[in-house]
Amino acid sequence: MRKLLITLTVLGLISAFALAFVYQWTMPKILQHQEVGKKDAILTVLPESEQYQEVRKGDLTFYEGNKNGEVAMVASGGGFQGQIEVMIGFNPAAGKVYSIKVLNHQETPGLGAYITGGKFESNFVDKPFGEYKVVKRPVKSAHEVEAIAGATISSEKVAEIVEKAIKEIREVYGGEI
Amino acid sequence: MQLWNDFKNGLWQENPIFRLVIGLCPTLAVTNTAINGLAMGLATSFVLLASEIVISTIKKLIPNDVRIPSYILIIATFVTFVDYFLKAFFPAVAVSLSLFVPLIVVNCLILGRQEAFASKNPVHRSIADALGMGLGFTWVLVLLSIVRELLGMGAVFGFQVLGDWYQPMIIMILPAGAFISLGILVGIMNYIARKGVRK
Repeated sequence: MRKLLITLTVLGLISAFALAFVYQWTMPKILQHQEVGKKDAILTVLPESEQYQEVRKGDLTFYEGNKNGEVAMVASGGGFQGQIEVMIGFNPAAGKVYSIKVLNHQETPGLGAYITGGKFESNFVDKPFGEYKVVKRPVKSAHEVEAIAGATISSEKVAEIVEKAIKEIREVYGGEI
Repeated sequence: MQLWNDFKNGLWQENPIFRLVIGLCPTLAVTNTAINGLAMGLATSFVLLASEIVISTIKKLIPNDVRIPSYILIIATFVTFVDYFLKAFFPAVAVSLSLFVPLIVVNCLILGRQEAFASKNPVHRSIADALGMGLGFTWVLVLLSIVRELLGMGAVFGFQVLGDWYQPMIIMILPAGAFISLGILVGIMNYIARKGVRK
């Protein structure tokens, strides 16, 4: 019995030490990639801006583009399996969403994971503000979002995240529905 | 000679996918593009090699009753290393393999080789076994993913090889396509193997 405990304890300690070193070595690089990824995402969702400024208002952080009053923000919420993080570009004056880009998610590969990769995200290109309805067919009106086949929940969650972000952006920057 | 046989074993006679039919979860899940198949094959091979070396070295120190938890702990350590390593140096690959990298821990190929080989054989033979099994796993993954990417997207390693006339079969890059192409490949391999025996 003692031998079993000692074996597992020693193995666990060695493993934890080794991984602590790996963590310290790789974490700065991983964070750097995320930073670059965020920057790219901001400039992707803001069609005309080439630069942006980070602005804090209350608890929220916004990225204001240098043209057209474009604003981007990161919104997140629960998905089917874990947190979904989305970068969203807005034009509050025109009351519309420019486009969105999913930054992080843990949805099912092959199903919900298709919230990334363009096709689903393109649902939100030049989307007017408002409440969205997720439908399982090609969209017919401006407030509809076409669900991913087999991943209705993931699709609805992303739509909810965008709706919530619209609410937040309207509180700060105004914008009509 | 014995080392060569240990190595060759995994490539064909006891190929993990075609012959032993183990480790199918990543096989089916990530082989939708050739680059994913290759990356998953190499990541798994690395974990297999590293853990076979460690386990065959310390096998006498591990009491029989806790050998499975000990193996899993060792395997998980290397998998976590690979996970961080990919995220830091190959972020694009890390994103497309996403949660299948942590899942290497439960790939039964790896635990199976520890139990069947590394825990009974000396280090140098375990290295040969790990290299053979790892390569055997990798080449099948790459073959399978080339077939699926070619039929499903008309591309190989991301390069478009089939022209506009080709209507991609979307099913090939979905899970069902993995089962279909794996089944056909296993059939072909069995046919070849049987013909070899008859000669």
